[in-house]
Amino acid sequence: MLRNSLQNWRSSVFTLFVFLFVSSACLTAQTNTQDASPQNNAQPAPQENLPNAPSSSSKAPSLSDLGISPEQTQGSAREQALLDKRTHMLKIHQRMGLITTIPLIATVVLGPGAGGKSTSTASRDLHVALGAVTGDLYAITAYYAIRAPRVPGTESRGPIRFHKAMAWIHGPGMILTPILGAMAFNQKSNGEKVHGIAAAHGPVAIVTAGAFAAALVSVSFKF
Amino acid sequence: MNKKLLVIVLLMALPIFAYGDSQWILEQSTLTYHVSHPLHQSEGVSHAAKGKGVCHDGQCDFLIAVPVKSFDSGDSNRDLHMLQVTRGAQFPLVTVRTRLPESSATSATIHADLEIQFAGQTSQYKDVVFQLLTQGKEIRILGTIPATLTDFKIDPPTLLTMPVKNEIPIRVEMTWRPQ
Repeated sequence: MLRNSLQNWRSSVFTLFVFLFVSSACLTAQTNTQDASPQNNAQPAPQENLPNAPSSSSKAPSLSDLGISPEQTQGSAREQALLDKRTHMLKIHQRMGLITTIPLIATVVLGPGAGGKSTSTASRDLHVALGAVTGDLYAITAYYAIRAPRVPGTESRGPIRFHKAMAWIHGPGMILTPILGAMAFNQKSNGEKVHGIAAAHGPVAIVTAGAFAAALVSVSFKF
Repeated sequence: MNKKLLVIVLLMALPIFAYGDSQWILEQSTLTYHVSHPLHQSEGVSHAAKGKGVCHDGQCDFLIAVPVKSFDSGDSNRDLHMLQVTRGAQFPLVTVRTRLPESSATSATIHADLEIQFAGQTSQYKDVVFQLLTQGKEIRILGTIPATLTDFKIDPPTLLTMPVKNEIPIRVEMTWRPQ
């Protein structure tokens, strides 16, 4: 009698175990079906239970699972410092470029009145002074662009290419314009009519100012 | 008899348990940030994101990572400035983590809670809505993450002394496939 009861008990436990096992296996199979249908038993988590820190799960994928090596995840303080220095210098370049624009415009505006027939005029002196200030500010502006560190492996793309190309025009122009201006000034001071290469002072200055303005606009507005 | 039955059931169940965790792989992606400035509207695009989803017990954990320097705005100067202000050399990756119920794969939209690590900061976005489009076995996800500069303590870059807007929405287009 006792033996029969024990056998029945064992049989019941086995049946229960098998039932639980098969049920859980079916559930797992359904939740892992990749073409999951809306009828499956996968239970959506309530909105308030959505985790804010899913990384805490031991099952969550890691960066190494994505094929990203620890070296790729590590930053470079040296490279960041290089970028910081570059940005700092180019910010000064931008600021100085904007400041340079003011005396540059004033110099160009006063240009036609600087000629005249008299050997010495106040407007000519003012034109010279503003031109000198423009030249100095331009030199400082250029210094910060030239000395800003380059980032290795970076190829210039976009409006910055035009901005840099314009420097090949306004750079030499900014050297040539004051030289021609000085020659024209001497000729005028000697009572001569501006002649020879000095006569190109005005056109060279206009082209230089135009290239400078185009360089400024190219990085300020989107076309 | 019972023991035999148990052994048979166990043997039958083994292959099912071997596929216990399903996985998703990010097939292709387009992530686009948008920056607004009084003089400019610019966008930077990256197709370099890598992602993986691991499903277990009806929940899927997703991880997406994208290198900061992979974003291309078409202007190398702007990209380098972006890299600088976002401290992209020091923190080269943007990572996005989320957990979704596996059943959401069949929904038309999902509301995801995102944890984003970027520029050395971690920000969480709740209930970000994404559209899901099923294309065969693949799933296409579309949505916009309403990121801001202040979320990641990024100083807004300036042009002609005018700062960019704080909002930098990130448009997400991803195609996932089961592994």
